[in-house]
Amino acid sequence: MPIFVRESQPGFRPVVPVLLVAAAFLASVWFAPSTSLAQSVGLPTPRLLTTIPMGGPQGSHVDITISGENLDGADELLFSDRRISATRKLDSLGKPVPNQYTVNIAADCPVGLYEAHLMTRLGISSSRVFSVGTLPEVTQTQPNTSLATAKELQVNSVCNAVVTVRAADHYVFEARKGQRIAVDCASRGIDSKLEAVLVIADATGRDLLVERRMGAIDFAVPEDGRYVIKVHELTYQGGPAYYYRLTLRELPPDVPLVRHPSTNGVSSYSWPPVGLAAKPATFEREPNNDRAAAQKISLPCELAGSFFPADDSDIFEFEAKKGEEWWVEIASERLGLPTDPSAFVEVVTGSGAEEKVTEVVEFTDIPSPVKVSSNGYAYDGPPYNAGSPDFLGKLVIPQDGVYRLHLTDLFGGTRNDPRNVYRLVIRKAQPDFAVVAWPLHMELRNGDRAALSKPLALRRGATVAMEVVAFRRDGFDGDIDLVMEGLPEGVSAQGLKIPAGKNRGLLLVSASATAVRSVAFASITAKGKVQGEPVSHPCRVATVAWPIPDSWGEIPAPRLSADVPVSVGGIDTAPITIAPSAGRVIEAKVGEKLTIAYTQTRRSEFSGASAPLRPVGAGFESAPTLEVPLTADGSQVVIDLAALKLPPGDHQLAFVGYAVAKYRHEPEQIDLAKLAQQQAEKDVANLAEEAKRLAGDAAALEALAVKQKAAAAALAATNEQFKRATETAQPRDIVDILVTEPISVRIQPTESK
Amino acid sequence: MVPPQLVESPGLRLFWRLPLVTAIFAGVWLASVRGHAAEQAISFINDVVPTLTKAGCNVGVCHDKAGGGQNGFQLSLLGFEAFEDFEHLRFEDRGRRLFSGAPENSLLLRKASGQAPHGGGVRLPPNSSGYATLANWIRQGANYDDKNAPSLAAFELEPKRGTIPRNGTQQLSARATYSDGTVRDVTDLALYESNDRSMAEVSDRGLVQVLELTGKVAVMVRYQGRVAVYSAAIPLGAPVENLPSPRNFIDEHVFASLKETGIPPSALSDDATFLRRVTLDITGRLPTELETTKFLAATRADKRDGVIDELLQSQDYADFFANKWTALLKNRRDDASDIVSNFAFHSWVRDSLLANKKYDQLVRELLAATGTVIGNPPVAWYKRVKEPKQQLEDVAQLFLGVRMQCAQCHHHPFERWSQDDYYSLAAFFSQVGRKPSATRGEDMIFHKRGIAVANNVKTGQPLRPAALGDAIPPIAAGEDPRLRLADWMSSKTNPFFAKALVNRYWKHFFQRGLIEPEDDIRDTNPPTNPELLAALEKHFIESGFDLKELVRVITRSYSYQLSAQPNGDNLADRQSYSRFYPRRLQAEVLLDAIDKLAGTQTEFPNLPPGTRAIALPDNSYNRASAFLRVFGRPEGESVCECERVQSSSLAQSLHLINSGEMRSKLASPTGRAERLAKEDRPVDAKIAELYLAAFSREPRADELRHARDYLADPRVDAAGKPLDPQQSAREGYQDLIWALINTKEFLFNH
Repeated sequence: MPIFVRESQPGFRPVVPVLLVAAAFLASVWFAPSTSLAQSVGLPTPRLLTTIPMGGPQGSHVDITISGENLDGADELLFSDRRISATRKLDSLGKPVPNQYTVNIAADCPVGLYEAHLMTRLGISSSRVFSVGTLPEVTQTQPNTSLATAKELQVNSVCNAVVTVRAADHYVFEARKGQRIAVDCASRGIDSKLEAVLVIADATGRDLLVERRMGAIDFAVPEDGRYVIKVHELTYQGGPAYYYRLTLRELPPDVPLVRHPSTNGVSSYSWPPVGLAAKPATFEREPNNDRAAAQKISLPCELAGSFFPADDSDIFEFEAKKGEEWWVEIASERLGLPTDPSAFVEVVTGSGAEEKVTEVVEFTDIPSPVKVSSNGYAYDGPPYNAGSPDFLGKLVIPQDGVYRLHLTDLFGGTRNDPRNVYRLVIRKAQPDFAVVAWPLHMELRNGDRAALSKPLALRRGATVAMEVVAFRRDGFDGDIDLVMEGLPEGVSAQGLKIPAGKNRGLLLVSASATAVRSVAFASITAKGKVQGEPVSHPCRVATVAWPIPDSWGEIPAPRLSADVPVSVGGIDTAPITIAPSAGRVIEAKVGEKLTIAYTQTRRSEFSGASAPLRPVGAGFESAPTLEVPLTADGSQVVIDLAALKLPPGDHQLAFVGYAVAKYRHEPEQIDLAKLAQQQAEKDVANLAEEAKRLAGDAAALEALAVKQKAAAAALAATNEQFKRATETAQPRDIVDILVTEPISVRIQPTESK
Repeated sequence: MVPPQLVESPGLRLFWRLPLVTAIFAGVWLASVRGHAAEQAISFINDVVPTLTKAGCNVGVCHDKAGGGQNGFQLSLLGFEAFEDFEHLRFEDRGRRLFSGAPENSLLLRKASGQAPHGGGVRLPPNSSGYATLANWIRQGANYDDKNAPSLAAFELEPKRGTIPRNGTQQLSARATYSDGTVRDVTDLALYESNDRSMAEVSDRGLVQVLELTGKVAVMVRYQGRVAVYSAAIPLGAPVENLPSPRNFIDEHVFASLKETGIPPSALSDDATFLRRVTLDITGRLPTELETTKFLAATRADKRDGVIDELLQSQDYADFFANKWTALLKNRRDDASDIVSNFAFHSWVRDSLLANKKYDQLVRELLAATGTVIGNPPVAWYKRVKEPKQQLEDVAQLFLGVRMQCAQCHHHPFERWSQDDYYSLAAFFSQVGRKPSATRGEDMIFHKRGIAVANNVKTGQPLRPAALGDAIPPIAAGEDPRLRLADWMSSKTNPFFAKALVNRYWKHFFQRGLIEPEDDIRDTNPPTNPELLAALEKHFIESGFDLKELVRVITRSYSYQLSAQPNGDNLADRQSYSRFYPRRLQAEVLLDAIDKLAGTQTEFPNLPPGTRAIALPDNSYNRASAFLRVFGRPEGESVCECERVQSSSLAQSLHLINSGEMRSKLASPTGRAERLAKEDRPVDAKIAELYLAAFSREPRADELRHARDYLADPRVDAAGKPLDPQQSAREGYQDLIWALINTKEFLFNH
């Protein structure tokens, strides 16, 4: 059974093996020992989940409180822009206050979204969005779930808050007749789980305007007075994950309402094409809905338009010559809009009443380069859609003549929103590519959704894999090499290229067993050759805002990250390291059989006797599986280069599978707790001796009794600490991805005789 | 359809290939035919089929039964497929059904006359004219009509309308005109059906017998796929004098109808009754004590209009009507993961009503919804109503008041709708495209580019979109046909769209639609006051499909504000709106009203405390609430308002009288009884508060006296020991509230 999602390949799929595998899987589930049901997915990973508040104004110091998963040993709070920094908050004794930081936002830090990461015992955490704005900010501190407890808000301010479960948060503000007040609630766009409902009510709480589609309310104040804002979750959920930033801003007339910034969806990695001007050259001119009113353009062409009003159809007319090839690309959904553009091109013959039109081509969605998870439960693909409802397609001109392109929004039949804009480009082929990467996920029954947001927090001796997907523009069909740079000391990366004609590659990141604790902001670059010239593009990394334990009730919210921090925690080690015994470069000759030996360094016990690891790397797809014994120190695989028909050159190879480790979390805490416990016992004993010595001195004994009480409490605390540490460090079955260190197979041509 | 010629029949082709014995039979047959050439020719279509129809042979429970008819003999419903019937009769069952040499030995006649065992009993006695018609047709050769045979051109009824005194009769006469100009009296062959058998019955021969009830009654008369209607007024004949000046066109038409039928209206309701009624009808809640006090004290002449406007501005109006619409639009939770789409859809309806989105726009957004549920909540309708057939049937019934379900399989028995009409309507939904979304079970909806077409499953004929007989200009592949359907529906000349809505809303406020059932509008189901319906329709269209304006004009009328108390003449009136017809509060409204009076709040899972039952977004809350189930809250399974059960039951009475839920509400430590028991106020003021809360009026002197006496009665516990004063007062107020709840004045909107 394939463990990992593979590039979708059309063609015959054997039915019987699938059925057999399915039956075997069912049998394994049915007869599995009960302990396997308790198995969890993914080794513990640090995740920063909330910061309260979630942002601050330029040039300010903001005290924030953080929360998350596996944040033990937290120290540095790092941001994706160096103009934001943080220091730990200290108590009156100068000791750090847990989970509290002071964030310093430089005055020259531009308005926008940034990402915060926390360096923890396990390394760098997943990120949380942090906003920088211009308005003064406040934070909700008291429950405000009724009219009576409504929080007073000033116009031109931001409130950071968490929505209350089964309630609506209430705010009240003063406004004058004729004022234009924009009320904007940022939530999904800043990593919150909140599907926000925004209501403006009169002073008595009577609803006046409601916005439930994550939009903002442009409120024309009807009369002087106090108005109420209510915020709640669509289904009245609430709690720390349902946070929001409520902006109340007065706007002058005739100025467009600019929303709070939002994170970028995954699909946006493929926009814009290189060289596209920031501002469009021309604009759509209405009315252009009918053939007779088609807007005339000449090719090549680049313009902007809007799917407005409802049921809008924009028709563009141009002339073209037989045999010309034009690439037509649109961006609208990739601009973050809820649209689904579609177009067709027709050739026009005759004129007036004699006019005839014949359809030439239709453009619809950009398909994802790899199969995407088909729903929120069964893991049959990654939860990241690298495709888009936008389109990119080729128009081959069949004859000289006049052509018309009809453009519509398939989601725009009844919608009247001029903000649903697009950029349309019609160009000669400019082959190019864009890539996006995300952590590799397991194809288990419920996937590793609880571990979707995976930071590159490496354990010593670990190798982790990232899946890299390519969007090929205008027929580009070359190799794409992957390079990662700016890594911390002791960390290396190897790209397994995306070969010509394919869309998927891997990037393996390894930490040496001796790597020390460190963090660095790395970069990933994709390199290829376009018409013989080298071209490189940065690779964006996608992540998911939240781990999702209940994938029936919740769907992932993927987005692009602003940065790629890589760390080594320096304390934890990988359960196993599988390294090539003869080093990372192996030389061979074309057509020979190659035996590759691996050495296993085991630091944990495992369930099961061995782990089958499948080959990854261009050209090695049909190589044999590497069977890794989980109770021995070596393994090997024989690869027939003749069967694989690999040409001379360097070829990257690794093996990937999964294994169930008996993982012990923070075992060093047991020793620390033991030491503390011994010290506490010693303190208690010393005080008991002291009491004997002071027998008869009532005043001294009274003072000592206080110390004895404190020492006893300290001992109880250390006992509890020891118990907790022991429980935490109990071996737990955790399944996780297993990746060998990569090797480079250098194939030499056979010597001619 | 042009009847095919005999020789073109595949069955006959087979017939001619039968062996020699068949030829001999044919010879005898032809001889027989020649022998009766001088008789008047019997037409299969014009004589035989009406005879079978009149005898009830071709209805669903007999030989039109699905799956092969009855005992292997299949006929089409009401003979709509005459040629198929002919083939079944003539060629099936080895030709035993017809025997031209001795027609009386034909299985058809032997069974129909009871001479051979027949599950349907005797349908055509040997001495009946129907028997003779069939026998003559068989004797003449049992042929199908020649393609030039006369066909039915017109069907008329005399009289078409009239006035019949109570207990009087009226003979109807039915006349068929054929394409060759001949006219026949088909009174005995036509089918008759009264639309209200408590008002009038009608015999097989067309004799209408009016009973005691007064008002309007209609008789539907059917003959060979044609329908005609006789409308009768049954006047009471009482003097109708001193009518108030009409406040608007509604009063003009209602009063005119009352004059015609001689039913004097009740007096205008008092202020307290009006306030309670209109608040319940517009917002689904009782007026607060403060609202009541202010309203009763106000002296402005237009205070009733003022309160209507205030209620229409309130979010309660949006909540209450969203509750009505979302049930009809099947906002049903079948799976826990439906919660987001259900909340989003309910909110969309509610917010649209709050903003007074025009009805045509509301329907347009629903019909032509595209995108995701979160981005465009009406898309959720396509999650629940997935198939084009379901979509067209729901849209037709809900928004056009036309029930198309029958026409999926056969010509509509009471209407002009054919299968072509059905599938032409389905074609509007044929290009609904779906893309999987990230949410399990939820699709993104879009217009799938292509020419809209649906196949008539019977003929296999591909059909372009057409709207209930109206041709629609060709729809290009890139155009969403649903938008064209929405255009057609919201056209000012559309004969269904506005009519269906005003009739539905009229029923909301008057308990009975001008057409009943409210979603079965057809020629054969005439309105009780056609002029009023037309005027409402016109007003609604001219207002730009403004729902609040419709509610406003209805509730401002005197007709709506009449008392529910009957006068000496209008007790029996059920359809002329001579008085307000009281109705039991709906399940959600009643639960909220009880909570209001008891000073409690029913908790609904995962919703904010204080959420009222009328604001519940879907049916899932019925599972946890015995009250809502017992009192008939719908499950959102049907587009019919009839899914809401408004009838009374023993379970309802028991629930109100002695259920744990009611006891806990009355005894709530934060409830009204507890508060009143503790408050240091005059008892009379407390009793007045209860009456204001329950009935929106002050107690009458006798009520006050009884309540005061009851509260003053000493109470003892089970052991006969006197209760302490606080406990005694608490129980007294609990009992008083319980008693008020169990009055009709509380349980009914009146």
